[in-house]
Amino acid sequence: MKRKPYVVFIMSLILALIVSACDNAGNSDSSSKKGNDREIVVGLVSEPDSVDIHRTSSTGEANIPLYDTLLKLDNDGNIVPNLITDYELIGDGKEVIFNLKEDAVFHSGKPVNAEAIKLSFERLISSSPFSTNAGEVESIEVLSEYSFKIKWKDQFAPFFINATTPFLAPLDVSVLDAKGEGFEKNPSGSGPLKLVKINRGDSLVYEPYKDFWDGQEPGFDSVKFRFIPDEETRILEFKKGNVDVLLDVPYQYIEDLEKDSEVTIKRVQSDTLSYLGWNNKLPIFQDVKVRQAIALAIDRDSIIDNTLKGEAQAVFGPLPKTVFGYSEKIETMAREKYTRNTEAAKKLLSEAGWSETNKDGVVMKDGEEFSVDLWVDDDPANQRAAQVIQNQLMEIGLKITISVKESATIIEQTPKGAHEMLLWSFGWPDADVLNFLLFGKDKSKRLHYENEKIYSLLEKGAIEMDQEARLMLYEKAQEMLVEESPFVPLYVKENVTAIRNFDSFEIHPINNSIEWTSVKVSE
Amino acid sequence: MSSYLFKRFTTMIITIVGVSVLVFMIIHLIPGNPVSHILGDYATEESIKELEMRLGLDRPILVQYFSYMFHAIQGDLGTSFITGYTVVEEILNRIPITAQLALYSIIFGSIIGILIGVIAAVKKNTILDQLAMLLALVGISAPGFWIALFLILLFSYQLSIFPISGYSGFYSLILPSITLGLGTAGSIARMTRSSMLDVIKQDYIRTAKAKGAGLFRLVFMHSLQNAIIPVVTLIGMQFGYLMAGAVVTETVFALPGLGSLIVSAISTRDIPTVQGLLLFMAAMIIIVNFVVDLLYTKLDPRIQYE
Repeated sequence: MKRKPYVVFIMSLILALIVSACDNAGNSDSSSKKGNDREIVVGLVSEPDSVDIHRTSSTGEANIPLYDTLLKLDNDGNIVPNLITDYELIGDGKEVIFNLKEDAVFHSGKPVNAEAIKLSFERLISSSPFSTNAGEVESIEVLSEYSFKIKWKDQFAPFFINATTPFLAPLDVSVLDAKGEGFEKNPSGSGPLKLVKINRGDSLVYEPYKDFWDGQEPGFDSVKFRFIPDEETRILEFKKGNVDVLLDVPYQYIEDLEKDSEVTIKRVQSDTLSYLGWNNKLPIFQDVKVRQAIALAIDRDSIIDNTLKGEAQAVFGPLPKTVFGYSEKIETMAREKYTRNTEAAKKLLSEAGWSETNKDGVVMKDGEEFSVDLWVDDDPANQRAAQVIQNQLMEIGLKITISVKESATIIEQTPKGAHEMLLWSFGWPDADVLNFLLFGKDKSKRLHYENEKIYSLLEKGAIEMDQEARLMLYEKAQEMLVEESPFVPLYVKENVTAIRNFDSFEIHPINNSIEWTSVKVSE
Repeated sequence: MSSYLFKRFTTMIITIVGVSVLVFMIIHLIPGNPVSHILGDYATEESIKELEMRLGLDRPILVQYFSYMFHAIQGDLGTSFITGYTVVEEILNRIPITAQLALYSIIFGSIIGILIGVIAAVKKNTILDQLAMLLALVGISAPGFWIALFLILLFSYQLSIFPISGYSGFYSLILPSITLGLGTAGSIARMTRSSMLDVIKQDYIRTAKAKGAGLFRLVFMHSLQNAIIPVVTLIGMQFGYLMAGAVVTETVFALPGLGSLIVSAISTRDIPTVQGLLLFMAAMIIIVNFVVDLLYTKLDPRIQYE
């Protein structure tokens, strides 16, 4: 019997449909419906590339709770013991003895003892791209089961702050394969949440770690971190009740969500400082008067209101409030010096030789107009901020052309000095960040600024083990930075989180992470 | 037929090698490298060099390419710099969702497109024809993210018929398939109409009509079977479009498929993943088009490959 051609076609389609419909094996169920009443669903933008803290380039809510840190910051920003009971500086501070708590246990059931910490640090130092956070470690010595000593080649004061971050948190090396890898599939940390399921590209499912050393009864049964990249979809999932915790609420939706009586909005100031920077090696930025004029032309409140719906705090000094090294005195000084004053800015430009203007109102010097490219990433809020900055600088005659670049391009190209101006940000809880990110020989990153005096102060700050003396050094360095104005600090954004149905839910005011041990869902 | 198959296989291999060269060159030419991404703001010159050496990125580009292809031939597409997963693992993990999405979209697009195209051809120059072509135009020109949000708002948020996002089996792929399939439906409808109009002018159709063949028989038995060949070609070509469309659709519906994987791999400059995925997608498109070519002989016995 002759088969009709279209029958073949339709049969092929139906067969393919059946085959594919049967193929659900191995795929995760990431449906919007919640598994049980005490399951918490957290909606966030992107998946961490790995849960292995020695490998990942993205730490966030979805992988941090796996780890517990040696030290932690209290709500006032003081460094306090966490996995350790105490520590003791030996001699000039190149050696420190740490004594561990004896009741901390990894998720694998193995104790968090000195040997485990040593192995974890050795892996960090030998193979992690983030080993610089530990400083130049000469040796790690196990003194007893719960006591170990770290010896550095030179004093390394930022260690104590760095040890409050997950980058230096111990991981259980015993779960690794022969190559020292495989942690991303079989993770074992000692944090308040234990990873139970990895659905790549979709979600990470945790349960409260029952043997966590604080001994508190968990206020929930499980946490699912769902990765929902699209803004609108994420909001709709939250509004529909399929997501209980919405991280990084886009600013334009806050007002709408606040109208819902069941929703609570939590605001915590970020430790990431957005700034307007430039390549200080370029001749156009060599004159300090030009740099100061740019700082005087910026109206931070206008940027915050127009681009961030007011959800940010203006910052005038080089460090935001949440960072060790912040000084109220410096902030006040910078605010007084650089509160917007376009007349003063024009005067400074004129003194710097930028006195003529062309027909477009752009200032000129030796027949050349002041015209630079401003690099900004593809974040819409940053692009809007760039537009406001462009208008504000045009008011004093500086012509800015906005150039949108991918983040990966900016990260790679700016240390090479390929840029002129950039709108970027940095975030680290210690003032050493200034040395590391912005200045210093051989590691000048984005701003290509060189100043021996400031560099020397920052280097001293990195090895000064006395915290008060350290603060003094950073204050002095910041005072000079305010005067020199090699970049314009702009603002720190508010991290906005929307939650629903919780009796207790706290976010750490300094490091912005959820305090899982105190979270309790409503009955 | 065997010589045809040999020729086609040879062409396919050359094409895939060509694609691999192109992909390799492009990924190495675009600014931004994985080492900068991995190390982020905390990199030093030393750590950059050390990591480049560990990842093999310090070798000459030709050495890197041949080393990559040597392993790729053996089914090893490398390991992600960023996630630590092998690229094959990542593809196998995500391909079921993208394959289903592409398939359902093709099925949806084909059925709707052919139906609309047939109606438009049969009712040529009537209001029905104009309406059908307007629908086809909307399907082609409406942006995927807009359709997706519209469908989510209506069917998921307001009517609660489908889940808003995520993957939970066939049910959760209905809206994404419609989103992705609408563009395909539009193209197929226009092609079907045009192809059908050519066929129904022919003498044998007039003869069949004169012999008293009913409308259904006339359209589906006599006309469509000859008009469908260019439509099948178009369906094969749409596969590439669907792969591209999956990127947007999977992002809006938060589906863990290949589309969302490639977006994150590109943004993190995860070279092995991008290369592996592009190579895999190119191979899929080439194979699908090859299958479509073979399907011609089944659809039209007059076509023979020698």
